[in-house]
Amino acid sequence: MPVSKPDSALLILGHGSTENPDSAKPSWDHADAIAASGQFSSVHCAFWKEEPSFRQVWPMIEEKEIYVVPNFISEGYFTRQVLPRELELEGQTTHRDNRTVHYCDPVGIHATMTDLLIKRAYEIIDEGVKIEETALIIVGHGTNLNKKSTEAITDQVEAIKKKGEPFAEVLDAYMEEAPFIADWKTLTDAPTVVVVPFFIADALHSYQDIPVLLGIEKEITEAASQREVFRQNPYHFGERTLYYSSAIGTDPSLAQVIVDQVAYFDEHYLS
Amino acid sequence: MTLAEELEILLPANESRFFGELYLSRKEDGTFSAFHIKDMEMVDSLEATDSLSELREIAKFDAENMYRPLKTAPNLKGGWKTTAASASDFLRRLDCIYPGVFATWIAYHRRSHDPTPLRDTLDRQTGMYRFAGSITDQMANQIMRDTCSPGCLRKIAWPISSESPVSRLKPGMKSIPVICTEACTFAVSEARMLVKEAYEKANPPAKD
Repeated sequence: MPVSKPDSALLILGHGSTENPDSAKPSWDHADAIAASGQFSSVHCAFWKEEPSFRQVWPMIEEKEIYVVPNFISEGYFTRQVLPRELELEGQTTHRDNRTVHYCDPVGIHATMTDLLIKRAYEIIDEGVKIEETALIIVGHGTNLNKKSTEAITDQVEAIKKKGEPFAEVLDAYMEEAPFIADWKTLTDAPTVVVVPFFIADALHSYQDIPVLLGIEKEITEAASQREVFRQNPYHFGERTLYYSSAIGTDPSLAQVIVDQVAYFDEHYLS
Repeated sequence: MTLAEELEILLPANESRFFGELYLSRKEDGTFSAFHIKDMEMVDSLEATDSLSELREIAKFDAENMYRPLKTAPNLKGGWKTTAASASDFLRRLDCIYPGVFATWIAYHRRSHDPTPLRDTLDRQTGMYRFAGSITDQMANQIMRDTCSPGCLRKIAWPISSESPVSRLKPGMKSIPVICTEACTFAVSEARMLVKEAYEKANPPAKD
């Protein structure tokens, strides 16, 4: 649903990267799409590892009311600690320097993400593939340092199962903790496997690291934007077929999810 | 006054300004244009680039197609120009090349945006950067000398600590200042590395 905020600015927060040139691109793409829709007075991006940084962006914004949406997958270290600290936020709404700043939920926890993951899985498999013989694996980062880091993935897996989609199995897997995505061949015995990365960008992890763990690349490749040929599904491993999607955060529908998080804020947090 | 109005004042019709590696100019009809200073002799043959996403791509890679995570690194590629009829459109384009740099200068000049001392930036870090605040003043000077000075066009406006003396940067006659009001991720990473190296040197692993 569109919003009408002709006097408000939208600020999209991303991680960014000092190593991979593709990390910030989805945030900019969504910002451009939202700006073109005219729903906000202005639309900005800021990043942890790129420019403008979270600290540099405030002077760029001239509106008195600002909605801040983290383009992050999960609630956790970044959305709870780093972003509020760097932006000097004091809870859901901060009044400072004659401005009102609303801190919305991250895009990854919005309810519509479940449908987007399902849509992405169906989009990449070929016509004629039997869904009931296909396992869907949602892959995330995972880290033993933070228990909450897997919650966003396990919540989505449960939500997809509840929707009654006819996949043979729906599973979660991670780069750095069990169940490991590197073990995909033994996590399921379905003849066809679709892997959708629950990441914001086709950057270091989803484009460079996970393909090596899946076995579709022998070693870490160059960044997506610096390769001449994008990967081509499917991949065959003996009798089994693997489809690997681009990161969920690159889906153009994410622009609407960002706007939806603003609408959700108004509905649930704005008193 | 809006940022666009500030830009109109800093760059009046029939005038030009240097801005980092950019040459900014404004025609009599008010039209703004920008291109790389090294392209001044070949302006007519430059490729017109007006989309924001294309301008961001120009700023993203150097002439050898290497990624430029720091947009104020002194290796912006040339061969392009951008033209805009309004100051607000022009500012959006400048922000693709040098994100927030114009706004930072204006806020600093208005005294509505104070530089953050290096130690304040480092002391609030957490996670893998939590020890960065242990740097000595000598290490801080080393970062400014070896990392910031050769690697970035911004002039440092922050002091090492809130007690350190710092002089205010002044506007240029023919240029719009490119300033740094807070140490960036590269300086913070460098601080962490220097602290780590010093710790490892003082506490070498025990030999069997």
